[in-house]
Amino acid sequence: MSDDKDATLTPDIRHLHRGMAEVWANPRGLGALTVVNHTSVGLRFMVTGAVFFLIGGLLAMLIRTQLAFPDNDFMSNEIYNQVFTMHGTVMMFLFAIPILEGVAIYMIPKMIGARDLVCPRLSAFGYFCYLFGGIILVSSLLFEMAPSSGWFMYTPLSSGDYSPGRGSDFWLLGITFVEISALSAGVELVVSILRTRTEGMALHKMPLFAWYILAMALMIVVGFPPLILGSILLELERATGMPFFEVAGGGDPVLWAHLFWLFGHPEVYIIFLPGAGIVSTLIPVFARRPIVGYGWVVAAIVIMGFVSFGLWVHHMFTLGIPQLALAFFSASSMLVAIPTGIQIFVWLSTLWLGRPVMALPMLWVAGFLVIFVLGGLTGVMLALVPFNWQVHDTHFVVAHMHYVLVGGMLFPLIAGLYYWLPLISGRMPSERLGRWSFWLIFLGFNTTFLVMHWTGLLGMRRRVFTYDSAMGWDLYNLISSVGGFMMSAGVALLILDVALHFRFGRKAPQNPWNADGLEWAMPKPPTPYNFVSLPRLETRHPLWDDPALPRTIDEGRHGLNTIDHGRRETWGSDALTGKPREVVHLPTNSWWPFFAALALAVVCLCLLARLYPLAGVATLVAAVLLLRWSWENGAHPRAAPDPTVAPGQPPLHSRTLNGPGVWAMSVSHLANGSLYLSLLFGWFYLWTVAPEWRMPETSPLSLPLLAAAGIALTLGTAWLAGLVRRLDRRNDTGLAGGLYLVAGLGGLQSALLGLAIWQAPLAPTETAHDATLLVALVYVLIHALLGGLLCLLQGLRVGYGYVGAEAPMEPVVVLRLWYYNLVVYWTLLVSVWLLPTLLGGTS
Amino acid sequence: MKRLLRLTHPIHVVSGLVIWGLWFVAIYAGLSVACSVAPPESERDMLTGINVGVGLATLATTALLLWLSWASVAAGRKATLRRECYFAYLSAGVFLFSAGGTLFVGYPIVFLPPCL
Repeated sequence: MSDDKDATLTPDIRHLHRGMAEVWANPRGLGALTVVNHTSVGLRFMVTGAVFFLIGGLLAMLIRTQLAFPDNDFMSNEIYNQVFTMHGTVMMFLFAIPILEGVAIYMIPKMIGARDLVCPRLSAFGYFCYLFGGIILVSSLLFEMAPSSGWFMYTPLSSGDYSPGRGSDFWLLGITFVEISALSAGVELVVSILRTRTEGMALHKMPLFAWYILAMALMIVVGFPPLILGSILLELERATGMPFFEVAGGGDPVLWAHLFWLFGHPEVYIIFLPGAGIVSTLIPVFARRPIVGYGWVVAAIVIMGFVSFGLWVHHMFTLGIPQLALAFFSASSMLVAIPTGIQIFVWLSTLWLGRPVMALPMLWVAGFLVIFVLGGLTGVMLALVPFNWQVHDTHFVVAHMHYVLVGGMLFPLIAGLYYWLPLISGRMPSERLGRWSFWLIFLGFNTTFLVMHWTGLLGMRRRVFTYDSAMGWDLYNLISSVGGFMMSAGVALLILDVALHFRFGRKAPQNPWNADGLEWAMPKPPTPYNFVSLPRLETRHPLWDDPALPRTIDEGRHGLNTIDHGRRETWGSDALTGKPREVVHLPTNSWWPFFAALALAVVCLCLLARLYPLAGVATLVAAVLLLRWSWENGAHPRAAPDPTVAPGQPPLHSRTLNGPGVWAMSVSHLANGSLYLSLLFGWFYLWTVAPEWRMPETSPLSLPLLAAAGIALTLGTAWLAGLVRRLDRRNDTGLAGGLYLVAGLGGLQSALLGLAIWQAPLAPTETAHDATLLVALVYVLIHALLGGLLCLLQGLRVGYGYVGAEAPMEPVVVLRLWYYNLVVYWTLLVSVWLLPTLLGGTS
Repeated sequence: MKRLLRLTHPIHVVSGLVIWGLWFVAIYAGLSVACSVAPPESERDMLTGINVGVGLATLATTALLLWLSWASVAAGRKATLRRECYFAYLSAGVFLFSAGGTLFVGYPIVFLPPCL
């Protein structure tokens, strides 16, 4: 209905639609690689995730074929190890997280009344990192070089001695590459939800789905860096022999388990939260009443987000940790059942008090409730240490995990797919095929995994490639395999239904489910700009309270309804109240994200092939591309050279001191800080626990050099803060000179730090102490170089007129980095120089 | 900055859990370091400095969180804006949960020796 040919619209409004369509146009052909719009990028994430789901599912069927009968020789043990490792890896890293990010990227701007995410080029960059990383990882299967140490890659099994091939390298490099995508999506989802909601949408009035995604995105930002650090350390160990996880060199393999599960347990909730968000969106629609206890759900989301970080050791109950510590983690594992229970009771109450309609999406929600509650109950069982010891590493754990993940994620995801399919395609799916698909998947799933609890209780270990008939597991495994194939048939029917509906589905009405959400006020399929005008909303149920909203939006009766400036715009609003503070001008289609991701893919491949000089060159190329990309920003002619806005509108965000870019930098530092804290944790953990850790009598580092570098950093930060204070007063006198001076101080800090590293008698391949110290120092050196380089570029941008009193935001963004560097540098010095010096050189 | 300290600010929806998290990290790390550096004699069972230290930290944190919960309710009653009232009561609930969570997780010191 919303196009420039709609005869019911006035010529002016049709002109507005035409203008929007031109400014937000997506190129075709090869140019499609430049598309940055969230609708396109979100769809790409989802389709690519679905392809990886099919690959992961195929691997699952190979596993079930192998285990269907005792003494089966369908696969060798080596191939079986690769298949189950890749099944878990593909499903967790290439399917679950990315497809949910795709849903969030696609839906969030539509639900909060924005035209795009706040960093569209970052979305596109994230997608290409995901695609290239996924292809690299999956290609290892074709070469029969896939990782084979299990999806959590425990050391020493995954270390060089026990996995000498390239399999572990494929995993470590591929997953790290893919995680760039997760982090970039995490950062921009947080900032978009907090800062680009439509006018009037205060924090306590935003859709519950946005709360869930906000929590998920923050958890990604904080939870993924420990694994990234672990992967870097393990790859360094495998490639250069730095003994981080090797006991003889002063390392400890349990450190890997800590780093992995610091990520791995929150990961389960990162996957569950968006699923629960879909359920909390759908249940009120089909119960035909507002959700009972919105505030209770928000509290449950926040609690779950935090408490899920306090459970990681419950995956390590058999590793020899003191019983009192186990009790702490056992108790917090039970604690997390409370917010989960709150949500389940809220959903049931909403259904109880409403007038439920059992439409197709609700069928999947019902399936979710049954399966997830069962998975939650076995989760509480596993939180109890004595029971956990009994069933550790058995098929009971495999069954529990699938109940939680398939119940908590796949069923809500399919519910959401059926619910939002009319929005994506403009057509309705088939109820009949959908119901057949549901019952095949639901029954197939329970046939496979309910029985698997018994197989586990009878003692069948996970990861064994075959078993003897005398064990008594034959029938259970056969039933599980039959159930697995039944589930596959259901998935095939689901794909058929979705594919056919594009051609044969009946046209969807404007609001097919009589939903309350703003996304249903959009044209179907959505236009790249979402809404031609952005409405003021002060209700949680916009379409229930104002059914005429789609029409008034389409008629351009709301905010930001001009396009003659030629900019892509959305509101930059106050995080609490939703009051517009800036007009955010969004970047347009670009090749930079594609080429930057491509360069990083080359880095990844070179590291895999151990072509280190070439990897260094590719890294430099990637850095240059990323910096060149950042050049087209703010007042650059390709961004927004003209600061004019319509009368009464707030200024463009690049003309303020607190635009979303500042927020994005701050949220990025949450991720960066999480990585740094994980590194500090590794340092103190090895110092305290590793049996062969050797702390030298005196520090190998030169205090005068380190102190001088710290003084340069401190002076640089103070100077930059002074420049920003003057910019706040709209005074840019001497700005370029000041930025060059700060860049010089950054360069001085880097040189002194480099000299300190070069002078230090470190033997990083001999001891974990020296290896960890070197990694920590290189980490701060990279930050020092980046701080100096960004100030240098800022100085240049002042000369070009892109930065100054009228466009003051970028130095504020760079100052955030300098503050971060300052905190990290001095705390690191205390940790690696002062404390060892004070406490003495003992292990 | 002063705005952030008011219990009607949404930052306090997470501050109770941040306190819980800091306490959790402190007791787990403290226990690990203490057991590594100065493990008590095994025959002392639960009557060790480690258990007493963890117990005192647990009680102090619980008391702080309970007080914050009560103060949030009071702030909610005084709030003039609906938004402020909403976040104050929400924070009060999360503070209360965090207090309960602290006590529940710390409770095993009563019946378990620290380093076995």
